[in-house]
Amino acid sequence: MSEIGKLSLFLAFLCSCYAVGAFVVGLRTGMAGPLKSGRRAVWAVCGLTLLATILLVRALVARDFSYRYVAEHTSLDLPVMYAFSSLWAGQEGSLLLWLLILSAYGAAFLWCYRKRLDPFYDAVAMVVACVMIFFTSLLSFVSSPFRILATPPPDGNGLNPLLQDPGMMIHPPILYTGYVGFIIPFAFGIAVLIMNRTGTRWIEEVRRWTLFNWMFLGFGILLGARWAYIELGWGGYWGWDPVENASLMPWLVGTAFLHSVMIEQRRGMLKTWNIVLIVLTFELSIFGTFLTRSGVLTSVHSFAESDIGPWFMGFILISATIATALILYRKALLESENRMDAVVSREGSFLFNNVLFVALTFATFLGTTFPVLSEAVTGTKISVSAPFFNRVNVPIALALLLLTGIGPVLSWKRATASFMKRNFIIPIFVGVVATLVSIPFGLHGVYPAVCVFGAAFVISCVVMEFARGVQARKDVEAPVNPAALVHLVQKNKRRYGGYIVHLGVVMIFVGVLGSSVFQKEAHAPLQPGQSMAIGPYALTLDKVEDTQIQNATQTRAHVQVSRNGKRLTDMHPAKAMYTKSQQPMTEVALQSTAAEDLYLILGGVNEDGSASIQAYINPLVAFVWMGGVVMVIGTIICLADRMRLKREEKLLA
Amino acid sequence: MTGRSVHVLDADLGGGRLLAALALTALLLAAFAIPAGATVSAAGGKDPAHAVTSQLICPCSCGEILSGCTCETGKSMQGYVTDELKKGKGKDEITASLVAKYGEVIRGAPKAEGFNLIVWVAPFVATAIGLLIAALVLKRWVGRRHPAGAGALAPAGHGPMTTAEQDLADLRSRAEAELERLRE
Repeated sequence: MSEIGKLSLFLAFLCSCYAVGAFVVGLRTGMAGPLKSGRRAVWAVCGLTLLATILLVRALVARDFSYRYVAEHTSLDLPVMYAFSSLWAGQEGSLLLWLLILSAYGAAFLWCYRKRLDPFYDAVAMVVACVMIFFTSLLSFVSSPFRILATPPPDGNGLNPLLQDPGMMIHPPILYTGYVGFIIPFAFGIAVLIMNRTGTRWIEEVRRWTLFNWMFLGFGILLGARWAYIELGWGGYWGWDPVENASLMPWLVGTAFLHSVMIEQRRGMLKTWNIVLIVLTFELSIFGTFLTRSGVLTSVHSFAESDIGPWFMGFILISATIATALILYRKALLESENRMDAVVSREGSFLFNNVLFVALTFATFLGTTFPVLSEAVTGTKISVSAPFFNRVNVPIALALLLLTGIGPVLSWKRATASFMKRNFIIPIFVGVVATLVSIPFGLHGVYPAVCVFGAAFVISCVVMEFARGVQARKDVEAPVNPAALVHLVQKNKRRYGGYIVHLGVVMIFVGVLGSSVFQKEAHAPLQPGQSMAIGPYALTLDKVEDTQIQNATQTRAHVQVSRNGKRLTDMHPAKAMYTKSQQPMTEVALQSTAAEDLYLILGGVNEDGSASIQAYINPLVAFVWMGGVVMVIGTIICLADRMRLKREEKLLA
Repeated sequence: MTGRSVHVLDADLGGGRLLAALALTALLLAAFAIPAGATVSAAGGKDPAHAVTSQLICPCSCGEILSGCTCETGKSMQGYVTDELKKGKGKDEITASLVAKYGEVIRGAPKAEGFNLIVWVAPFVATAIGLLIAALVLKRWVGRRHPAGAGALAPAGHGPMTTAEQDLADLRSRAEAELERLRE
């Protein structure tokens, strides 16, 4: 079976090379045959990669320890679902997942544009096939998941306990769907340059693909934060870890693009800038994989370090050089008649937003890579972690929060003083009131105050936009229609979907503010029967017991929880010692409501028999997760706009 | 939306000045963000040791912020900080003693001095430069006169885009897209 796996990957490599060759011939000669053949080769890569993936999954689930990858990442006592998810626990499997998603994107792209005979789409597929060559060659010649051990061990090493979490079943595939998906906008951008393509249609198509990938990447990042919250057991969910930063950077640049692309669509401006953002988003996606794989930086999320970092760095350099050269070569194509009516306009605010998004990305990039740079220059090891990012990134992020409210309300071309007054007086008033009301509740510091003001301001702006829209529909659809809000969103999905995304962003800001500024913490060693207090909660240790779960021994504390004297629930924070790795793992106990999380950690059992209980109250943390869901809903609404347009196009045709 | 106000905020130079002021604000934020001397800041409402441990990295290889670290080394270090605070030692003193023992790598953020000053200053300088460039670019673009014929996607006008103009732009865009499709 391993030979079939190796062969399928090698054939995928050959098909990728063939696809690129066929597309080049077809595009140069204008012959339809090679183009058709190239498309089929892309489909073949997808099929062959799927076959290789199925073979590896089969080996993982069957615990076929003759495969080195299986022996390294599974064991006999590993639950089947984690045996399946160990596909992305190691480097080779992760690369295979990358290639599977990449080839699926290639096939999906060809399927979406199967009726278009424009060779431009073949040029896009050619760029995708070029990237496929890189990944198929890595999997065929450098890092094959089908390597066989001369003497298979009776049992495997087991899966890293940190990865034995249900969240890990979906977090990496969703994150990768976002990461890898940025290949399509990149391919569009490069194809535009190669084909010397003018017109604006492609930019709408790129916007849709970017939106789709952006949604998956954002949701994947939040799932990762949720995993860290539950699995790492430090009371938080975002630690500005290098791998977290690596996933955030393409998302930030992608967000900048999603805003600036609107200016190009509306005004035909910023063509060069948009291509640069597309290229940067893709390169940062690859850079994220480089950081995760290379081990150049210490990360709590890095599970598959290896020596393939230089390959990724080489790929980044080559692809970025080609893209830059093409941008310079096609400078004339990207020239646009940049002309604006006023600085204070929606396009002006989007430009400003772009500067801040890119600045935030730069700050994150610099902070993430600076330890390596500093050590190279000064010879002294340093760390750049949360204390740095909280000081530098937070003010930039807060400025962006304010723009989230301002930008969409401003009209295109020009906003007058009376317009500003009409639209912003109430949100500013609401923001000031919200800030003043928050102060007695313990709000302190400039940044938290700005955050409260910004959140209230943006919510007011969005609510007013909806209210105005509903009013307009009521005027048209008299008598008063209670479903006017739904109709409003249905009629302009893109616009109101965007507002819903902004509401999700605000919810995340509120959640972050609540869970960081108002977090409460207490820890104490408790003997059975003893209690500790945190906020309105009283925690009484009932007992501590050892239990055996499938592949670990668990020390479990039984804690009775009361709130304001009333018995609420029992919670069971635990410490698990995994049989294979002998690595202690914290199993957090969580009592969640929309208002706050009670978060308990069992630090360990002391020599005197007492249990160290660490407790946190994380207010409003549920808003972070709910905000993520709201953002996804908003994005789906935006994407649904295209479905309506497609239906209309079909009716017209 | 369509009304013409006499108090137009969008005067060419006014907008440029606005962004220049914002760029200046970015530089001022840098001064606000850069830690003066010690990197310890207050973390109100939490364990007093949190103010120290939230600024340090666990010295084992886990790479986590000390305040949230659950490894054995982390827990022992948290205990050390708590004990030292109880003895009456200052936060800066405790941090200095830990840095002396484990090196600069234990700080969650480098001190803003020497080469490491770059990491504190560069993001704000870059933001300020970005905003200034945006201000200059906007000033240049706003200063350009509209040609007699409007652009394909956005008809020229001197007021905010009306609904009718937006609809027209949308229709033009759709017509262009459909024409392109027909050409295919």
